[in-house]
Amino acid sequence: MNAPDADAPLIERVKRGDVKAFEMLVVKYQRRIERLIGRMVRDVDLVPDIAQETFIRAYRAIPQFRGESAFYTWLYRIAVNTAKKTLGELKRDPLITESARAIRDDDDETSRTENELSDGETPESLLASKQVAEAVNSAIEALSDELRQAITLREIEGLSYEEIAESMNCPIGTVRSRIFRAREAIALRLRPLLDARQGLRW
Amino acid sequence: MPNGSEINASMAEQLSALADGELEDTGVSAVLGAWRTSESARSRWHSYQLIGDVLRSEDLASSAGKDASFLAALRTRLAGEPVVLAPEPLVPQPVEPMWPAAANGSAAGGRTAAAGRRWSWIAPSAVAAGFVAVAGMLMVTQAPTPGVDSGATLASSRPSTAGAVVAGVSALGASGSFVEPTALVANGQLIRDARLDRYLAAHKQFAGVSVLGTPSAFVRSAATDAPKN
Repeated sequence: MNAPDADAPLIERVKRGDVKAFEMLVVKYQRRIERLIGRMVRDVDLVPDIAQETFIRAYRAIPQFRGESAFYTWLYRIAVNTAKKTLGELKRDPLITESARAIRDDDDETSRTENELSDGETPESLLASKQVAEAVNSAIEALSDELRQAITLREIEGLSYEEIAESMNCPIGTVRSRIFRAREAIALRLRPLLDARQGLRW
Repeated sequence: MPNGSEINASMAEQLSALADGELEDTGVSAVLGAWRTSESARSRWHSYQLIGDVLRSEDLASSAGKDASFLAALRTRLAGEPVVLAPEPLVPQPVEPMWPAAANGSAAGGRTAAAGRRWSWIAPSAVAAGFVAVAGMLMVTQAPTPGVDSGATLASSRPSTAGAVVAGVSALGASGSFVEPTALVANGQLIRDARLDRYLAAHKQFAGVSVLGTPSAFVRSAATDAPKN
């Protein structure tokens, strides 16, 4: 996982009022947070809403984040609390429980089966995810040893540039360049998959 | 969001370095600028982050469309939020003599005028609760000997939570020390309290006397804010 310091530059900016810096952090952690919430909540349709709520609460609480724990650890706790709170509210609200029951009855008539896909996935999006994973794997294998080692030490071992430089016996600038080129090579292979659809706008 | 043009290799490399927390401050500013104007920059950041996620765990693989929709929805909600501010402490300022005895013949005397303008305080009533946190106060003590600024002791209080205004007096140092708090900056703006300015102006004539003889109403005990080096 990333060293806690990796988020420090962006967090500093958020604390200075830069909401765009927060957006960058959201893009970084959204998938992990949604996976976490998906494990706590059986109704997959709730996941994006709870995730949204999590990030809003984190944004509001940024002044209280002091870097004593990793940012993701802090975010994780907010996600868990938000999920629990949401589930608790659903239980207590008789109106929602009733309609949920009604919805479930409708579902029995539709195509929802025991093998319901997680995370609101459709067969198409599940295929897309699989293709993304395969593309990343084959791109990694196609890298030169130096590039593959650099990005592996960074992304999987979580070493800093300085540590990687020491490990690979090269200057820090070379580490930075190798990691960048590795990412670019993989991103190039992902581009047709990720940009496939129209209206897919960042 | 504006779409802008394709980013160049240099910007892409900066995005990559920032993803690792290994980009210097000016680079961070440049990246945030690109984020605002270039869809290519946003898409690239997403790709880099997705690659990292997938390397660690394949079940985090995702279609970009889903992720982009998530951010678009969040952006709408964020637009409705008040901007959060957690001001950062200033870099410690050099100690400056404040009384005439020190100013006479002292090379540092010329800097006294500057000291007054660095005074700053956030009055509790001026703070929107929850949105401004006093990040810390740097208190500088000066040895009674005029012109000597190497004896200064710097202490800083730790960042405090928002909601209540805190002025942490971390160290008052040796007896007869003059204490000069440095400025508090909220979003780049100094915030003044005229009462404190007058108090200090009145006391700076008394050489060797601690300005804050007794804790004022604005000052909270150091015991509640552990000083940190």
